[in-house]
Amino acid sequence: MRAMKHKRALWLFLLPGTLLYLFLFAYPTLSGLFYSFTDWDGVSDSYRMVGLDNYKDSFDSLVFRKTLLNNVKFMLSVVIVQTIVSLVLAILLSRNTRTRVFLRALYFLPAILSSVSVGLIWSFVYDPTIGMLNLGLRGAGLDSLAQNWMGDRHIALYAIAAVQVWAHAGQMMIVFIAGLQSIPGELYESARIDGGNRWQLFRHITWPLLAPASAIVIAYTTIQSFKAFDLIFVMTDGGPNNATEILSTYIYHTAFGNYQFGLASAGSMIFLIVLAVLTYLQFKALRTDRAA
Amino acid sequence: MRKAGKSGKKLRYIWASGALALTAVLSACGGGGSASSDGSVTLNFLHWRGEDVKALEPIIDKFEQANPKIKVEMQTLPSDQYQSTAQAKLSDGSVGDVFASFPGAQFDALAKAGVFTDLTGATWLKSFNADLIAAGQQEGKQLAVPYQLVYNDPIYNVKLFEKYGLTPPKDWEGFLALCQKLKDNGIIPIAFAGADIGPGQFMNTMVMNNEPSEDIFEKVEAGEAKLTDDWWIKTLTQIKELNDKGYFQPDALGTKDAAAGALFIQEKAGMLASGSYQLAQNAAQNPDLQQALLAPITVSASEAKYEGVHTSTFMLAVNSKSKHPEEAKKFLEYLSQPDVAGEYANATGQNVTVDGVSYTSPELKVAQDWTSKKTLFQPRFTIKNGDNQKAVTNSIQAVLGGASPEEAAQEAQAVIDQHLSK
Repeated sequence: MRAMKHKRALWLFLLPGTLLYLFLFAYPTLSGLFYSFTDWDGVSDSYRMVGLDNYKDSFDSLVFRKTLLNNVKFMLSVVIVQTIVSLVLAILLSRNTRTRVFLRALYFLPAILSSVSVGLIWSFVYDPTIGMLNLGLRGAGLDSLAQNWMGDRHIALYAIAAVQVWAHAGQMMIVFIAGLQSIPGELYESARIDGGNRWQLFRHITWPLLAPASAIVIAYTTIQSFKAFDLIFVMTDGGPNNATEILSTYIYHTAFGNYQFGLASAGSMIFLIVLAVLTYLQFKALRTDRAA
Repeated sequence: MRKAGKSGKKLRYIWASGALALTAVLSACGGGGSASSDGSVTLNFLHWRGEDVKALEPIIDKFEQANPKIKVEMQTLPSDQYQSTAQAKLSDGSVGDVFASFPGAQFDALAKAGVFTDLTGATWLKSFNADLIAAGQQEGKQLAVPYQLVYNDPIYNVKLFEKYGLTPPKDWEGFLALCQKLKDNGIIPIAFAGADIGPGQFMNTMVMNNEPSEDIFEKVEAGEAKLTDDWWIKTLTQIKELNDKGYFQPDALGTKDAAAGALFIQEKAGMLASGSYQLAQNAAQNPDLQQALLAPITVSASEAKYEGVHTSTFMLAVNSKSKHPEEAKKFLEYLSQPDVAGEYANATGQNVTVDGVSYTSPELKVAQDWTSKKTLFQPRFTIKNGDNQKAVTNSIQAVLGGASPEEAAQEAQAVIDQHLSK
């Protein structure tokens, strides 16, 4: 009897969280799924059921396909570069000295800025005429390196990816530092006694034991790169000529620029599926690593 | 029958209190117009121009003094948010007894949803310039009243033009010669914000005489004309020519609005590819600047039909779901009075569509001079589908990025064809 009461109390404790989840996540997601089968414009009271047309139209759309490709390019650039940069920073700054603690704080600083501020700052830095970057490069006699950072369709996406890395590498560095500091020092000592060099120490001790931290960093960075809406919205709004349009900005433009909520909902569902698959694969890889 | 125990009663009490609290909170959130027991009415006025709040507050105060039983509660949202959330709120009538709409896609979506009250036949509409408020009509009904008037024609630096003996040209050859003269004298001919507003603004004057038609883009969206036709290829070719000859600042495609504006304000550029809405802001940052408007004529002088482009925007309307439509119309009627419209214009630095307004600042007078010219309603805003609109401006970005006009036009037409096939 007492056990049953205890169980009921536990369910009651779960109730507020469950209700919030149902109301704020499950309901909007299911609504989105429902509207993805309609031609609702987001304003009218009425809509028609159109079956899978929105999904078909999405994959038929040149812009949507370009957007998906942009998202993959953006994700790969950010995940690879940000993971390497944050790992290198973490290795260099993992020991607790005063200078290193100061540098950690300094590198972490961009993470506390809002993405909109970061986007605005970098829009000015990248400006081809009055921007600090090109002026600096020209001042240093490196004219050939000065680029049309936001205007060149071959460069713009990677220029924004660099800003994303600048803004979040410090944050990921902290995760790696936590991972590094949890590795027992005895392992390195015994490996050194056995004659291991720096590379061997990294390859056989640091990297395998950092696997959980790496998985967190990679998973987080992947999701973050898919959701880099505000940065792109502020810096290029998807331009020039859709060169920086990613799924999240595409969904926004479709819903609120074109008033095609049904189509945008289908885009959101595709977005959700892509993220779910990627996250599943990453966690599966993590489990495989652990098993290994 | 099972009786509720003490704890059961307590639980029901908690549920009931919770429901009441929720109802109270939700009622408090409702922003739509309301009526009180003394018969006074509160109107909700929803728009996106936060920068106009200070100018509108004294106007609203005077309206309330003249109409003691009507209160106007102004609510503004940033324009991006207005595009994204206002229509849902307007369509359920929770806000916006009086509201503003953008022309183009938003106006169309709201009209389709039946959010507008038909204002046709209202006597106060006669206060407005009939041509300028036509953008608020659909199927012969006046659904909204555009209040602001903008000329989307490039601005030029009058003193610089005088210094080099230049006058606004009458044809394309003259425009190219003017640009070359500025360039030869170390002046950037045209400051062009290629990364954001530039293509959408500049395309209007560039296309107005290449295809002098009020509905060319409507025809494109209906499949009756194509972007691969001569008129658009010619427009793209001419924009490319300006870029290739160095008449835009270097790397124009990466330049944003603020940076292009800075080049003009600092008098490094002779022209700024924006519109009259920018005049007051430029003057505030450089009071020595003398500005006027100039539209590039892309054909020979004899072929030119239009002298420039205008947009009437900030389209005021009465919500069909409003509980107080008569009071809402009364407020619009008040705003239509020339002295009230003049107060708004002079305080905001924006021209208005109301006739007989006296403007005080030189910048407003510059645009006022254009009311007598033959101008075309901004062609870009006649593109109803946002995707198509973006495809059109993207084709300009594509040619600036190195694509040929034919390739760029084909790519844009492919997007339009996809919408046509649905």
